[in-house]
Amino acid sequence: MKPSPESLSGKPVTAQGAARRRWPAGGYPALFLAPAGLVVLALFLAPALLTIVISLTNLSVATGLTHYRWIGLANYLQIAHSPWLSLILWNTLIYVACTLVLFNVGLALVLALLTAHLSERAAGVFRVLWMLPRITPSVVYALMWRWAAAQAPYGTLSQLLGLFGIPGRNWMNAHPWAFVIGLNGLVGASFGMIIFSSAITAIPRDQYLAAQVDGASAWQQVWRITLPRLRWPVLFVTAYQTLSLLTSFEYILLTTNGGPGFYTTEVWSLYAFHLALSNYFGNTQFGLGAALAAILVVLGVGASVCYLRLFRFSELVSPPRIEVN
Amino acid sequence: MRRRMTALVLLSALAFVVQGWGGLAPIRAAGQQTVHLTAWTIGPDEPSYYRKDNLLSAADALNKQLAAEGSGIRVTLDATFATGGGQTWGAYKQRFVLAAQSGKAPDIVATGNEDIAAWAAAGYVIPLDTYVKQYKQFADVIPSLWNATKFDGRIYAIPQDVEARPLYFSMPFLAKLGWSQDKIAGLPKAIEAGQFTLTDMLQTAKEAQDKGLVLKGYGWWIRPINGPAYYMYYEAFGGKMTDASGKLLLDTKALRGDYSFFHDAVFTYSVTPKDIIGTDWNSWHGAVVGKQVLFTQCGTWCWAQWIQQYKMPADEVWKTYGFALVPSGTKGGRPVTLSHPIVYMISKSSPHADLAARLLALATTPQLNARHAVTSGHLAVLTDEAQVPAYAQDTFAKDTIYMLRYTTFLPNDALFGTYDQAIWEGLSAVVSGKMTADQAVQTVTQQLQTNLSDHVVIR
Repeated sequence: MKPSPESLSGKPVTAQGAARRRWPAGGYPALFLAPAGLVVLALFLAPALLTIVISLTNLSVATGLTHYRWIGLANYLQIAHSPWLSLILWNTLIYVACTLVLFNVGLALVLALLTAHLSERAAGVFRVLWMLPRITPSVVYALMWRWAAAQAPYGTLSQLLGLFGIPGRNWMNAHPWAFVIGLNGLVGASFGMIIFSSAITAIPRDQYLAAQVDGASAWQQVWRITLPRLRWPVLFVTAYQTLSLLTSFEYILLTTNGGPGFYTTEVWSLYAFHLALSNYFGNTQFGLGAALAAILVVLGVGASVCYLRLFRFSELVSPPRIEVN
Repeated sequence: MRRRMTALVLLSALAFVVQGWGGLAPIRAAGQQTVHLTAWTIGPDEPSYYRKDNLLSAADALNKQLAAEGSGIRVTLDATFATGGGQTWGAYKQRFVLAAQSGKAPDIVATGNEDIAAWAAAGYVIPLDTYVKQYKQFADVIPSLWNATKFDGRIYAIPQDVEARPLYFSMPFLAKLGWSQDKIAGLPKAIEAGQFTLTDMLQTAKEAQDKGLVLKGYGWWIRPINGPAYYMYYEAFGGKMTDASGKLLLDTKALRGDYSFFHDAVFTYSVTPKDIIGTDWNSWHGAVVGKQVLFTQCGTWCWAQWIQQYKMPADEVWKTYGFALVPSGTKGGRPVTLSHPIVYMISKSSPHADLAARLLALATTPQLNARHAVTSGHLAVLTDEAQVPAYAQDTFAKDTIYMLRYTTFLPNDALFGTYDQAIWEGLSAVVSGKMTADQAVQTVTQQLQTNLSDHVVIR
């Protein structure tokens, strides 16, 4: 009788174990990642590649889907020569940076810290209230803002401020950026609030108790215990919301539509939409719009890489130096 | 055995579905077939609802004709009518383009004549020359309107209505300014003779503001979004959109006059607000029906909108506003207006183009077109339409029809959208103070050279 093969530990190797060992290195991780990989391939990589392909054509309403021509980088050159490029890039930067810093991360962090010090029930009610803008349909939410900001005697804001002797006006036209950033930010803040609240809840309570025993003030607890442990969620929220803000324009479209006046609140994604899908005289330019979208993808990837470096992502995912069993 | 049973059940189910599908759709009763047609129409002004309702009336007439002929075919029409604010046109056209690309376009679509070139070039709509010859109703269309429906020498659309784009002036404000009743009543003639120019209009508005009669920035208003009306000011300074061969043309001298006029309106005379572009349509009309604006430029349909949609009593509108052509930019020059005929087209994906064309013929009658024109503030597209009592007795229609002698149309060029994009951006930059007129003209010239190359002539 042939002796059964033995493993290094001295235990006999079964047929199942031998089969498992035949998998190449990394086989199991690849297998488990495959479904997610397919989703990424189908829903991100394929559209991105298609966008790049379309951006190399003169596809428009006039050419239809059959009469287009390959024009190489002509669309990109047209964008580079556009006199409005710097204006739209600046608008995009203002929109993303202000919404992100003031609301999506800043306000979200404040809300999460405040609710962490409330009772569970009160915190729950408070968070639900902040979720209302998110669960309200975009069109309804935007229209409510438009009507609230409308000129006297129609606008709610003008009516309220009129009680204090402030003359009525169309407040959205007067301060378009405040409204665009504010109404986007109030939706975005709830996302960060939930993520940060969960992360704060996960911090072991005994660390706070130990700090209190050592005489740490509330602010010191936040600064020394809470915030350092929020680096990972802050990275996630910052990166995710940056990409989201770069590509989302529905609230701007529904409120100022890039105005008032000349491209006052026109951001990159809205400009791409206007060129690719919405032109007053009908001849929308899909190729040019795709080139703008492709550049947006590059901007998004660039911003993500910057965040990963800024938050030292490699340290965040490195294995722990000690292992507790 | 079980497999056979399963196959039998599946086949039965398939047969049932196919039977139901085929049986329910076109066949209503033995020997009778129902053809479903779809039509998309748009205002976006609410009083233009007859663009849809006339098609429904035509469908009734068509069914009566078919019955009289003993035909087994009956037509049902599913028609929509889009209304709304500034983004309605863009969204409507986008919907049609996406539907056409996916082969799901409606049989009939109503839109502005400027879409003919792009949609015909892309093959979304079919030429109608054969039908135009076939149906006698089309012979009544005012001949010059056919020019606005052609692309590459072929007719692609049936005119539904036409309009002028007058300058409305507030008679009470002019009276308070010291104008005599005769002078106010004679303003349209003075404009027609080229004696009252665009600059005169700005000066008058400034004077009214300076005397405290009109609020600052309420002297002269134009539509708050992009649109054909802006080309009238380019034409008022001698500009043309095409050359003799029909090629797109940019006249830089006229464009400089156009942009300088807008710069003066906003900055030199301060009679137009800097943020006029982007103002909500409801606020815009609200100020006009609130009698706050001295000079207003809007299409003839606005007259109907103020009465029907914004509830200004008709006699109040008549007492408040007079109307005239848009003045020339130069003394003694020719005044202008511009027409943007709404047309019906038949999509290439329509399986029933013959019936759709017959339906359009029945919708193109003096009675139907007249009721639309009178209700919505549009002008006649048919020679016999002016004889219909409702139209002949309509004072506004009678008093504005002369404007068509001065009208022009947007060119039917597939790349007009690109041309317009550059000119509109230049104008918006001037109005918002981001560029001077000269800078904007230079930028537009470069943009057109880059984007349209030899498709445009620049002088």
